[in-house]
Amino acid sequence: MSSTRRQFLKASFGASTLLSLGRRVPGFLARAAEAESVRPGGDKILVVVQMAGGNDGLNTVVPYADDVYQRSRPTLRLTARQVHKIDSHLGFHPRMQGFLRLLDEGHLSVVQGVGYPHFDRNHEGSMHIWQTAVVDPAKATTGWLGRAVDHIYRPETAQVPAVYTGEIAQPFAVRAPRAIVPTIRALREATLQPGPGGRGGQRAAAEPDATNPLLDFVRRGAAAAEVRSRRIEAMAEARHSALAAGYPPFQFAEMLHTIAELIRADVGVRIYYTELGGPSPGGFDNHAGQLDNHAALLEQLSESVAGFVHDLARDGLLDRVLLMTFSEFGRTLRENGRRGTDHGTAAPMFLAGGRLTGRLIGAHPSLTDLEGDEMKFHTDFRQVYATVLDQWLEIDSRAVLGARFEPVAMLRG
Amino acid sequence: MSMDSHEAGVQMTDPAWAWAPYRPDARRPWDLRRVAHLYRRAAFGANWEQLQRALAAGPQPAIDRLLEPAGDVAAFQRTYDEYEATAGDDGESVSGWWLRRMIESPHPLLEKITLFWHNHFAAGISKVGSGDWMRRYVQLLRAHAMGPLEPLVRATSHNLAVLLWLDATANSREKLNENFARGLLELYCLGPGKSSPQNVHEAARAQTGWFIERGSLRYFERLHDPGPKTIFGQRGNWTVDDLARIAVAQPATSRWIVRKLYRWLVSETEDPSDALLAPLVESYAKDHDMARLLGVVLRSNRFFSAAAYRQRVKSPVELAVGTLRGLERLVPMPPLVEDLAAMGQNLCDPPTPNGWEGGRTWITAATMISRNNLAAALLDPTGRYGENLDPQAVAGRHGYGDRDSAQTWLWDLFLQGDVSPAVRTMAASSTLRTLAYRIITLPEFQLA
Repeated sequence: MSSTRRQFLKASFGASTLLSLGRRVPGFLARAAEAESVRPGGDKILVVVQMAGGNDGLNTVVPYADDVYQRSRPTLRLTARQVHKIDSHLGFHPRMQGFLRLLDEGHLSVVQGVGYPHFDRNHEGSMHIWQTAVVDPAKATTGWLGRAVDHIYRPETAQVPAVYTGEIAQPFAVRAPRAIVPTIRALREATLQPGPGGRGGQRAAAEPDATNPLLDFVRRGAAAAEVRSRRIEAMAEARHSALAAGYPPFQFAEMLHTIAELIRADVGVRIYYTELGGPSPGGFDNHAGQLDNHAALLEQLSESVAGFVHDLARDGLLDRVLLMTFSEFGRTLRENGRRGTDHGTAAPMFLAGGRLTGRLIGAHPSLTDLEGDEMKFHTDFRQVYATVLDQWLEIDSRAVLGARFEPVAMLRG
Repeated sequence: MSMDSHEAGVQMTDPAWAWAPYRPDARRPWDLRRVAHLYRRAAFGANWEQLQRALAAGPQPAIDRLLEPAGDVAAFQRTYDEYEATAGDDGESVSGWWLRRMIESPHPLLEKITLFWHNHFAAGISKVGSGDWMRRYVQLLRAHAMGPLEPLVRATSHNLAVLLWLDATANSREKLNENFARGLLELYCLGPGKSSPQNVHEAARAQTGWFIERGSLRYFERLHDPGPKTIFGQRGNWTVDDLARIAVAQPATSRWIVRKLYRWLVSETEDPSDALLAPLVESYAKDHDMARLLGVVLRSNRFFSAAAYRQRVKSPVELAVGTLRGLERLVPMPPLVEDLAAMGQNLCDPPTPNGWEGGRTWITAATMISRNNLAAALLDPTGRYGENLDPQAVAGRHGYGDRDSAQTWLWDLFLQGDVSPAVRTMAASSTLRTLAYRIITLPEFQLA
C-alpha cells in the first residue's frame, strides 16, 4: 500500500465516531478497505472531457503562419502576434496561456487530425459515434466507456470503477449494460449524508450472514459505502476550496477539482467523465459571432485543466492520471459569412497528464489537400481510444471497440 | 430465516410440489413475514392495513385480491391516464406520473407487471426521444400486461417507440431491414441464439412495408414483399401480424418468458433448472396468459419457501415505492425521478435492450450511498421532499401512539422481525423518524 493511501486510511479510521460502533464494525470496515486495495489492472486513471458542439480546432491550435488559414477567416482569423506560439507554424488561441504552459512542462499533448471515415456532420449523430465508438447506429446500444467499465466490473465486489461528474444528463459514453455509473456533481453526493438522528443503519452491519449470501453481499456493499464515504470526507476535510487550490473561477474548474478530490480519496475509481459545453447541441457550436464565445470556452478549458494538472502534480499523482478531450467534429475551414463557422470534420484531441510522449502527435491536416472543402483526418479517434484502453487502462481494446485499431504513439510506458 | 432441511430436500427434487398451492402449516405459517413477502413481490410493498387484512384473510384470498382488486380500478386508471397526458412530451414527467401511479394504484400488481414488460421490451427515451411516444408505449404495455402474450407482441410491432428503439423505422422489399425481426425473435419471444439467420431473414420479409415517417407509422403495400415465407417450418404469405402468432407459439418463447418472470418474482440468486420450470412452461404454453401464470407462481409452495424469501434485491423503484406505500404519503415526484436515476434506474430509460440487469448490480458502494441519501432526504422534514413523511402520525392512526409500541410497529411494518437483536439494539432511536431512517438504510431492508 502506498504511503498516501496509508495516510488517508489512518485519517479515515482515526475518527472518534467509529469507537461508538462497537468492536466488530471497524474490523469489518478495515477488511473492506483492505479488499479495496487490490486493484485489477493497476491504478491508472482516465479523465475524459466532452466538449459538445463541435470545437473549432483551427482557432484552438492555430496554423497562424498558413496563408490559407488567414484568407479563409477574414473576421475570425488569429494572427502571429495574438497566439501563444507553439512553434513556427502553430500557436494556441490567445486565451489559452494555461495550455501553453502545460505544453512546455511536458504535461500536454495535441493529437492532431483526428476523425473517422464518412464524417457525420450532425451533432447527435456524430456525438453518438464518438460516445459509442461504433459507426453504425443500430449496433450502438452502449457507450465505449460503459463497455470498458463492464469489462472490469465484477458485481460481487460492489464497486463500479467509474464516475460521471457533470450537470447535464449522464452522457451515453458511460452507459453500460450492467454497471451503474454514478453521477456526482458535488462531493456531498458522494458521501453518506446524515438523516434524522445522524448516521444510517448501514453501520449496524455485523458479522457475515451464513444463511443468506445475498444479505451478506449487501452488507459488504454497505461496508464499502462506509469506507468510500469516509475516505472522501477525510479528503474533503483536509483540503482547500477550488479557488484556494489554484483553480480559476469557472464551474468546469469546480468539476475538475471535485474529480481531483475523488482521485485523492483513492476510492477505486479509474474512469472519470465530465463535460464542458452543456447539453446538445453544445456551447462550442458557434455558427454566428464565434469569436468571443469560443474564446470564453477555450479559456475555461485551458485554465481549468491547467489548475487540475498542477493540483495533481503537487500531490505527486500526475503520473497516474491521463486527461483526454474530444468534440464531435471540428468546424469548416472557411468562415460562413455570419462571423462563425459550420460543422466540419477533423480536429485535435488534447491529452494532459504525467506520462505523455510529445507535444504534437501527428501532423496538422493540410489546408489545401482537402476532402470536399474540409480537412482530412489521419488518425481515427478509435485509435486514440484503443491506445488509452490497452496502454493506459490495461483493458482489452478489441473487446471494447469490437475491432483492432492501430495504436498511437502518445503515452510513455 | 433459516431454511428448513425437509423443505429444502423436497424443493430440490420435486417441481410438482414447488408449484402446488401453498397451504399454511405449523412449519410454514401464514405470518406477517409471508404476508409482507407477498406484498413486496406482488405490489412493491404494503401499508399496515393491507398487511393486517391479508394476514386475517389467508394466502389464497390475499392473492385473489392482488390479482383482481376490489373497487373501481378502471376509474383510477382513467384518471391517471388523464394526468399523464398533461405531461406532454416531457419524459421526466411521464416517469414521474408512472411512479406516482405505482404508489397510489389500487392494482399495484398490474404496475409491477407493466414494469416487467418495460424491462423486457426495454424501449428508452434516450433513443426514442419523445415523452409522448414513451407514454403511449407504457400504456400499451399496461393494457396488455396481464393478458395473453400474442396481442401484446402484436401491439408492440405497431408501436412507434418500439420500432424506433429497434432501429426498425424503414423496411422495404428492396432494402430489407432485419432489425425488427431480430428484436422480435431474439429479445421479445424466443430469446438470444434461438433463431437461425434464415428465420430472421424470412421474418424480416414478413415485416416489409412498414415505415415511420414524420412521426407516424405507415404501411406501404407496394413496398411489402408479398411472397411466401418459411418461418420455423411454417410456410405462408406471412405479414407482420402473423409473426406475433408464429413467434409466440414457439416452445422457446414460453421458456424465455417463464424464466424471466421467475427472476422477476421469485429469486435473483438462483438459476432455476429447466426441470423446475417445466410445469410452469407447459402450463403457460397453452394460452400464454400472464394472469394465469402469475396465479400459479404467487400461490405456490416455491414462492413462499426459503428459496424465494429475501432472494431479490429491491430495485430503486421498489425501494422508494415500497417505502412510500408503507408510510402512506406521496412526495414530490420530480426529485424522486432524479434520485432513482442516480441509483441506476431511470424509469423510461433502461440502459440497453436487455433492460436492467438487477440483482447484485443494484448494490455498489456508490449506490448504497445514494440509497442512504435518498432515505435521509425523504425523512428529513427540512429537506427537498418537505415534511410529507411522518411515521409517528401513521403509527398513531393505526393505534400505536406510545413510543415503544410505535417502534415495534415500525419494525413489523418494514422488516417483520427479520433482524438480529444486535441490529435492533444498534438502530434503537429516540424518535420514530430516526428509526424509520435507520431501518430503511439497513442492508436487510434492501432485500425484497
